[in-house]
Amino acid sequence: MKRFVPALRGALQLVGVALGIATVNFFLLRLAPGDAVQVIAGESGSASPEYIAALRAQFGLDQPLWVQFYKYILKLAQFDLGYSFRQGTSVANLILARLPATLLLMGTAVALAALLGGLLGTLAAYRAGRWPDLLISCLALFCFAIPVFWIGLVFVVIFSVWLDWLPVGGMYSVSAGLSGWALAIDIGRHLILPAATLALFYMAIYTRLMRATLIEIRRKDFVRTAVSRGVRPGRLFRVHILRNATLPFVTMLGVQIGSLIGGAVVVETVFSWPGLGRLAFDALIQRDFNVLLGILLCSSVLVVLVNWIVDALYRLLDPRMRTA
Amino acid sequence: MSAFASRHPFWLARSAFAALFAASLSAALPVNAATPKPGGTLTVIAQPEPVILTAALSTSSPTGTFSTNVFDGLIEYDKDFNLKPGLAEKWNLSADGKTLTLNLRQGVKWHDGKPFTAGDVKWTLENVWKKYHPRNQALFANADKVDTPDDHTVIIHFTKPSLAVLSSLNSNGAQVLPRHLYEGTDILNNPYNNKPIGTGPFKFKEWNRGSHLVLERNPDYWDKGKPYLDRVVYRVIPDGGARTAALEKGEVQYASLSPLPARDAQRLSQLPNIRLQTKGYEWLSPWLFLSVNVERPYLKDARVRQALYHAIDREAYRKVVWFGYGKSAISPVVSTLKQFHDATVPQYAFDVKKAEALLDEAGAKRGANGERFRITIDYLPYGDEFRRSAEFLKQAFKRVGIEADVRNQDTPSYTRRIYGDRDYDITVQWYAGFADPQVGVTREYQSDSIGKNIPFSNGPGYRNAEVDKLVAQAQGSGDQAERVKLFKAFQQKVQTDLPSLPLLELQFFTVEASDLNDTVSGVDQVYGSFKNFWYTDPSKH
Amino acid sequence: MNALPTPVSSDVAAAVSASATGYAGLPAHVTRGWLARLVRTPSGLIGSVLTLAILLMAVGARWVFPEDPLAMVAEPFLRPFADAALPLGSDMLGRDILAGIVHGARASLAIAASATLIAVVLGVGGGLLGGYFGGWLDRAITRVTVFFQTVPPFLFALAIVAIVQPSVATISLAIGLTSWPSLARLVRAESLRLRHSEMVHASVALGASDLRIIWRDVLPNAMTPVLVSTSLLVANAILTESALAFLGLGDANVASWGNMVGAGREVLRTDWYIATLPGIAILIAVLALNLLGDGLAAALDPHSAH
Repeated sequence: MKRFVPALRGALQLVGVALGIATVNFFLLRLAPGDAVQVIAGESGSASPEYIAALRAQFGLDQPLWVQFYKYILKLAQFDLGYSFRQGTSVANLILARLPATLLLMGTAVALAALLGGLLGTLAAYRAGRWPDLLISCLALFCFAIPVFWIGLVFVVIFSVWLDWLPVGGMYSVSAGLSGWALAIDIGRHLILPAATLALFYMAIYTRLMRATLIEIRRKDFVRTAVSRGVRPGRLFRVHILRNATLPFVTMLGVQIGSLIGGAVVVETVFSWPGLGRLAFDALIQRDFNVLLGILLCSSVLVVLVNWIVDALYRLLDPRMRTA
Repeated sequence: MSAFASRHPFWLARSAFAALFAASLSAALPVNAATPKPGGTLTVIAQPEPVILTAALSTSSPTGTFSTNVFDGLIEYDKDFNLKPGLAEKWNLSADGKTLTLNLRQGVKWHDGKPFTAGDVKWTLENVWKKYHPRNQALFANADKVDTPDDHTVIIHFTKPSLAVLSSLNSNGAQVLPRHLYEGTDILNNPYNNKPIGTGPFKFKEWNRGSHLVLERNPDYWDKGKPYLDRVVYRVIPDGGARTAALEKGEVQYASLSPLPARDAQRLSQLPNIRLQTKGYEWLSPWLFLSVNVERPYLKDARVRQALYHAIDREAYRKVVWFGYGKSAISPVVSTLKQFHDATVPQYAFDVKKAEALLDEAGAKRGANGERFRITIDYLPYGDEFRRSAEFLKQAFKRVGIEADVRNQDTPSYTRRIYGDRDYDITVQWYAGFADPQVGVTREYQSDSIGKNIPFSNGPGYRNAEVDKLVAQAQGSGDQAERVKLFKAFQQKVQTDLPSLPLLELQFFTVEASDLNDTVSGVDQVYGSFKNFWYTDPSKH
Repeated sequence: MNALPTPVSSDVAAAVSASATGYAGLPAHVTRGWLARLVRTPSGLIGSVLTLAILLMAVGARWVFPEDPLAMVAEPFLRPFADAALPLGSDMLGRDILAGIVHGARASLAIAASATLIAVVLGVGGGLLGGYFGGWLDRAITRVTVFFQTVPPFLFALAIVAIVQPSVATISLAIGLTSWPSLARLVRAESLRLRHSEMVHASVALGASDLRIIWRDVLPNAMTPVLVSTSLLVANAILTESALAFLGLGDANVASWGNMVGAGREVLRTDWYIATLPGIAILIAVLALNLLGDGLAAALDPHSAH
């Protein structure tokens, strides 16, 4: 029984966080001038008072704020994220529909970046001060400093238009009507450019992180001791250095996975990738608060979960933390 | 010739090029005497993504361009503003303008197989157009009785003459919904709003939100042999650069309502596989203008407004911000609406000295730092052209000593600020005037909608009893000649008071693949169907 | 997009000796000779020179280009080097691009600096208070940082700017509000550690007040990672501002690099230089700040002081 207490406490914490975030976001978003009906009326190019009143009633926006909030929390308690009148479908459906696209894009980009970044960072650390390090560091710096949207547009121009190797945007070729293996390949082709654009930026982060971490660790006393003891480089790296290097790496990975939802707004815009970031941005512009709240809620839950996992990994990797 | 042009010979060259270029467009219309070939998939851009798929409940343009392929209009337009039979084979407006008789086509079926009858028209008019459609609520407000003596005749009785109705009976103006799927339901939440059943040339197939919509050929379409295309796919591409690339590569073959930055369009038009089309927008009669909040301290003086007008070089504006597309506007009723346009309205030529004199006269003298007063410019957040317009105006006003701050915001904030709170000085806007001034133009000047948070109505807050009377008279008149006279008097008055400064008669363009034929069937092609489109070689698509 | 690469560990300030403080509130052994160390490293040298150059450009903008950079002074789409008066050409409204870039340094740096100031004040303040005092204050502040963390930072900045309408002030506020949590976490960890250090225990035993302890013992030793983070925060703010402008949420009344890139995006294919040149300016500025940050980290590192 005692073992379940922390888990229970954690679950309650999660609920508390979720509720708190939902409440704060709900009222914060109401600060935005105009509402969803205003947007639709605005987009229609003309509107009459009756039309607007009818829409307001349909959206449930004509009721006092407290009533709306109460209804929202009630629904939330039943795990119902609400309904988007503008999109004509439930928020949960919308999010689930876009989730695979987001996971694919972010997952690929982060995995690529972590792998490449880790490798390059290690290489740079071990050749610190010499030209491979210089080259890699410069490369990382460039990739970090270049505005993401600019490099994305440049990629489109070079690879899609001039070379015609890859499609311009979207997630798959709609008119082709592919399925199965062919569809997977088609999606893959569409995935390359956006994932590469994102990965470049993340890779820069991981490279610099890995490099700084490794340089720092190698300077530490325990490493010098190990070297003086005659530990071989391979074992030194694996057993002593790598384990210590993974901690900051894992932290960064955690931060990036936490920002999975909504972290790629710009890339999704440039490449018309139907992800959650773009959905959130559109929902903001359209004042479709149910959708935006739903996305923010999912994001916060994800962050809390990821924090837990990272903490658990910390305890696993660093014995010193276990007693804390 | 404007002072600007004389100082910059480059402009002359550019405008010559623009004229030549515009001329070459119409010449580029394929004179294809060959018979249309069936087959092929057309990929179109949907930008922005529609919210709802029937124009009976929304007047937004994405809905308009999409829904007319699924729904037919009662009548159709040809290229000269003449009416052609659509779902109505014959129509007749009585001499007193109070009775509209429509004889409907026989044998037309909805996409689910049920027959299209007069009952559908009557039901839609009474329950949808009069209740929910923004424009039609005003248009059909006086329709108090609808008779359907048989399944193919509709007789609409108006309490007052309603000549303007005839200008809005196409698919975009008067879309008929299937009564058997809507009657007794919650109309606004009806699921068929998003999987529409119409009588049109294409059937709805699927909507993958955020990505694409698919239409398929209707094999039982009443216009035998049409449509020629097998499928239409609407793709959602939010980024302008990505749209350009898609059109350039041929992944998309058709995109209307100026889907690209004009500069890219100019470049694409040089390519052999792409054609730029400017016809098909005449029914919209769009004009761009400055709404001036007449309740603000300096702006309430008509001389100040006239000075603002004199301070703007409309030709330079057209060339710089709109890359030469469009025509300088002198009146809110555009010149292509020949019947109603009044070319004799007071003119306000570009004259900086006159502007300064007027401002001095109105008591807005220059201060120690050269500044007369400060205003803000809000612009319609619909694209970079409006932002650049605001920036252009900022510089124009600076020259006469008026400091302007450009303010940026998103659509809901914008409409609330202008039409609700009225917390603004000047805003850059455009309206569609449509084929009758009563439908689209007068709303900017009528006083009944001020401050009620109704988007795209009277932004300036202009109240003039005489203008209200002119408009009311024109609305209730059964004599077209009299209406024309009234609307001309209306133009004279509003162009003297200047609550709203018309700047540009907008010219939209369509980007098409050059092997697509017969792409303009009427003056409302922008909201028209693709039933006449065909590929020179369908096997390539 | 806002993932701030935090300096690796608090070991940078680990070697704390209970000695008198040098200037800038830092321990003397660290500050002594830091400038010399900074310019000895290539990254530090290049970083500081470039940053200085950009600052000079921003400060001297009004003298070199006294006219309003937003004024339409020439015909549009003038190519770079085509006209001697406009060395970098003109954009789609006929504005001088070079004037725009020089003045843009002012706007972009002003926004970035204000945003960073907000972030530093909030972050250091929150982190110090939470880490030092612990208890309910710490829990409250932690809750707030967790909340800020759960919202994707860029989306949050977007939301703030969209709600209160874009202007230099609101953009700075939005960016500042979204970047302080990571700094707060860093400072909190530092002050938590320092709280239990011998030095602080000694001061407490001597009867020093909390404020004095924070000011003399904790803050100076927690500053090093903050200083390094600051240059990164500024760089990040510049990138975020340009991304906001790209999405249409920039302040149209100032010439900023982000605005210029956003405006030039539409004509990227035909007149690539309009978006590219300010993009290069952003690139160089961010590079310079990053190099400076790296150099500072190396120069202020107590290890290298030996």
